[in-house]
Amino acid sequence: MRFPTGAATRTDLETAAERTYDAVVIGAGVSGAIMANELSTAGKTVLLIDAGPGEDLTVKGYESYLETFYRQAVKDNQSPYPRNPNAPMPRSVDIGPVAPGQPETSGYLVQPGPYITDTTYTRVLGGTTMHWEAKTPRFLPEDFEMNTKFGRGADWPIDYDELEPYYREAERELGVAADVDSQREIGLPFPDDYVFPMHGIPLSYLDQVVDTGIDGTTVELGGERLPLKVRPYPQARNGVPNPAFNDGEGYRPVGAVGTHRTDEGERCQGNNNCVPICPVQAKYHAGKTLAKALQTGRVELLTQAVASKVHIDPANGRVSGIEVKVYYDPDDPAHETGMITGHTFVLAAGAIETARLLLASDLPSTSGLVGRNLMDHAYLLNWALLPEVAGTMRGTVCTGGIVDLRGGGFRSGQAAFSVDIHNDGWGWATGAPYTDLLHLVDDHNLFGTGLRRDLATRISSQLLLAFMVEVLPTETNRVTVDPAYKDQLGNMRPVVSMTIPEYSMRGVAAARQVSKLIFQRLGAKDFTRYDPADPSYVEFDGEGYAIRGGNHLAGTHIMGTNKRNSVVDANQRSWDHENLYLVGGGSMPSIGSANVTLTLAALCYRTAKSMISELN
Amino acid sequence: MSDTSTNNDTTAKTDDTTSTTAITTIEALHEYLGRAMQLEHATIPPYLTALYSLHPQTNSAANQVLRVVAVEEMLHLTSVANLMNAVGGQVDLTAPGFVPEFPTYLPDGEEDFQVNLACFSPATLETFLKIERPAAAPDEARRLMPARRRTDIMVTAPGDPELRYYSIGEFYAEIERGFNYLHDRHGDQLFSGDPTHQAGPEYYYSGGGELRRVVDIDSARSSIELIIGQGEGVGTGAFDAENELAHYYRFEQLKLGRYYQLGDEPHHPTGPDCEVDWSAVYPTQTNPRVGDLSGFPELQETAVSFNRFYADFLALLTKAFNGEPELLIEAVPKMFEIRNKATVLIRNPIPGSSATHSAADPTPDGPMHAAPTFEMESQ
Amino acid sequence: MGPDRLDRFLALSAELTAFDVVELAGTGESDAYLATVDRIVGTGAVDALLDAHTAISEPPGQARDHQLRHSMLGDEFLGPLARNVIKLWYVGIWYQLPRSWREVNGARDGDVTFTISANAYTQGLLWPAVGANPAGARAPGWASWTEPPRLAKL
Repeated sequence: MRFPTGAATRTDLETAAERTYDAVVIGAGVSGAIMANELSTAGKTVLLIDAGPGEDLTVKGYESYLETFYRQAVKDNQSPYPRNPNAPMPRSVDIGPVAPGQPETSGYLVQPGPYITDTTYTRVLGGTTMHWEAKTPRFLPEDFEMNTKFGRGADWPIDYDELEPYYREAERELGVAADVDSQREIGLPFPDDYVFPMHGIPLSYLDQVVDTGIDGTTVELGGERLPLKVRPYPQARNGVPNPAFNDGEGYRPVGAVGTHRTDEGERCQGNNNCVPICPVQAKYHAGKTLAKALQTGRVELLTQAVASKVHIDPANGRVSGIEVKVYYDPDDPAHETGMITGHTFVLAAGAIETARLLLASDLPSTSGLVGRNLMDHAYLLNWALLPEVAGTMRGTVCTGGIVDLRGGGFRSGQAAFSVDIHNDGWGWATGAPYTDLLHLVDDHNLFGTGLRRDLATRISSQLLLAFMVEVLPTETNRVTVDPAYKDQLGNMRPVVSMTIPEYSMRGVAAARQVSKLIFQRLGAKDFTRYDPADPSYVEFDGEGYAIRGGNHLAGTHIMGTNKRNSVVDANQRSWDHENLYLVGGGSMPSIGSANVTLTLAALCYRTAKSMISELN
Repeated sequence: MSDTSTNNDTTAKTDDTTSTTAITTIEALHEYLGRAMQLEHATIPPYLTALYSLHPQTNSAANQVLRVVAVEEMLHLTSVANLMNAVGGQVDLTAPGFVPEFPTYLPDGEEDFQVNLACFSPATLETFLKIERPAAAPDEARRLMPARRRTDIMVTAPGDPELRYYSIGEFYAEIERGFNYLHDRHGDQLFSGDPTHQAGPEYYYSGGGELRRVVDIDSARSSIELIIGQGEGVGTGAFDAENELAHYYRFEQLKLGRYYQLGDEPHHPTGPDCEVDWSAVYPTQTNPRVGDLSGFPELQETAVSFNRFYADFLALLTKAFNGEPELLIEAVPKMFEIRNKATVLIRNPIPGSSATHSAADPTPDGPMHAAPTFEMESQ
Repeated sequence: MGPDRLDRFLALSAELTAFDVVELAGTGESDAYLATVDRIVGTGAVDALLDAHTAISEPPGQARDHQLRHSMLGDEFLGPLARNVIKLWYVGIWYQLPRSWREVNGARDGDVTFTISANAYTQGLLWPAVGANPAGARAPGWASWTEPPRLAKL
């Protein structure tokens, strides 16, 4: 996919400030790229503004991310992406020890605590899809009707059937690999003749070992007996194209993004590194859509530009312009400020940054819900050693999991969850395989053949089950701003207050029990332990758990049926500001137990359609 | 592997079924296709040696060009196997002599040159440009040229070693004529091969080019044209109908230090800079032999084990091309393993050796490094 | 540094890691690793380590392992250095020497935990030892993960 040479630097603040665009889009992640591509393809002029470094997406630039990753001694999920004090991002490694009663401020997010999340998002061209894992399950139909079905959380103003055609558009754009029958089995309706763009990514040997070991296992939840089975995840990753896609037209995988022809249209090679960066761009990232949008010639890209204030015409509540700070160098606070104008404005900066911008702009809000209802999946990690070598550390980061507990009547009482089998072993929980090496060399005093043998058996039999537990919208889980905390450019940093609601903690407790059952059936040695000193440690019902962030941020500009119960309508248009759209995970009233990107991409296609007809 | 861009007539000529052809029997077609497989394969060891001689994390441009070209040669090899299988021929990549001994001759239009197993260098790049260079017969009469010298593997006219084709493009044009001629004579009976032996698109893709099953004259023609188009280029520009850059021009980018972009005239790329660091290369022994490593048993064993692995790989491909195409999936990890094994050899200096290069050659001096020898007969 | 010294470093490393010298040199990191150890702890300390290794005369077996532990791995000065050499080859990282070593022998310039180079990471021998590839490098190829891992027979 060719990125037009110079597109990242072609316009500047002065030039952009003189024009009036059909649409001004803030954020060049997956939502912003889809919006820009859809609007420009329909003939609209678009200015896309991104806070990240202003370089064209080149193969060389991508390789420099990779090289940065290689060079880090600690390879966290943001490690390829250089620090940028003018547009900082949360990094798990930045979170310091927290003193009781003191807010956590050493990371980018200011967190009053006591629960501290290590959730992240990525502020570079392409956004968080640069580091995402690219699992793309659809939400279940019941996820859209949580209140009606279970008396919990909130209903969406649209249902699954309404979103279904847009799911298909998103699956085409992201290039999803999955077998439709395996998705029907978990209760997802599809049109009869539908196939995904590509065949499913095959399950890892590790998945197969787990599936064989748990064959016939059921668990009881809310009075129902539910089966456990390892099923493949849909993934936005180049695999084997399905010739039957799109009525037999087939699908052409989208390769690497660069300014010259690379002809690297790689199929996944099993690098085991989807997070934080796929070395061969087999994984979808929004740069692929961004490049396409720029090729229309109607999209201008203003980079190193941080939106700092949304201006409103007090007479009618419409957005009159967005103030932007453009910096020259990530390490230098020097910048110029300008006002960007357009007919419509789209904030697509992610659930935390979009809310932060609205709050920092001090806009009136009828519902008072801007920044509230912040959601993220609560991840509970469980790790064990299998009694056999299972080939851990191979494949995509996750090929399969247990998704039969994503839905069911039990959701009236406790959160649903899905279970990822991590092909990358204990890495997320313990820092494997490095910690294993240190342990065997320094503590077990091994060297030579003994060391090699024990490394192989210990690492190749690791099993990490990551339970992705549902979190419902809660008004006290929120993003705010505080002038006491600013970044280098003088923009207020997000202040994030989160607690894991009891409903989710009941799910967490059940998840732990399910993991014990699975380990028992597998004959695996359970090594799970949660450290009370962990800033993400939560006690519930006499037990303690470390709850990791899921990077699936949502809810901060929640969608609903009227201006008092929500921030945006079903088209993601702000109730209070007619020409302002807030797109992305922030609009979601629920996140079920599915990764959010596919659904927010589908929402963007739906919104783009309505925006285009509005603009016409 | 040559380019017809300097002569527009060639393209038209390929479709001319009334021209005379040297291929008048199915046996002759089998022989031509056998040669074609040998030829497609013969470039892979030199390309891989050059590719893996690059220092890691350097020479991004050369790395991509060499890798993509090598991968496309694998596609061509598989496409020819499909053509062979379609017309009931036998594919055997393990036959004695299938892998040439290096240095080896490959044909081109104007002069003979040898292809070495050598590290990436300006001289190596020149050879690669010669392999893929634009060269089309000026007229029909000169399509077949007297061979100046006997070669081990080359596009001589099967049955008459004294004649050879002006270019590989012409050789494939001959094969296409043969297909047309025989299809006129035998109709669809020509495609008597077992269709389950065909490897379909599910077994290959990269940014450019698709693997096609060959089941009739149309699919046979389009497979041949894909090979000619990717390797040699067709038409008058550097890009083919699918906007893919032919191999010659990919290599030329490294020589000229600039990428082509769509619309560029041949030899005048106007895209972004294309940087090459000639010194970031392991100076490998040219045309190495296992026998040269007799003083270093561990290293020699590693070289032997590489050749054994490569021979097994060719045997696996042979099985895949003989009715088990699904084995091509298994072959993919083996190709990555070939990379790992080749780089181990290439990063090992040969103790006590030294390589000195002329002032004009930017390849670093120092101990000579080992490299895969691709000697199959010694197994 | 003479080739001789590099050979001795490789011989030591081969014994510590159970990878042979060709496999070690095949990473392309031999010179860089020796230079790293030399730079951080000094050539004198490295020579002492190499001498201790050369002095072990037993043929492979329990007696040799016993000697290795006594005169090298279990030596208060040399042990941490030897263990750092193992870690270099396995993951391409120099780990800061233990506090106890630093307190006795003095802190050394550059003795912080760091990855030697991008290539050093991608050539880490831990991954081949467990039948895998370092995450993000030296990919094994499409669908390779569906098969059981292949571990070297030791």
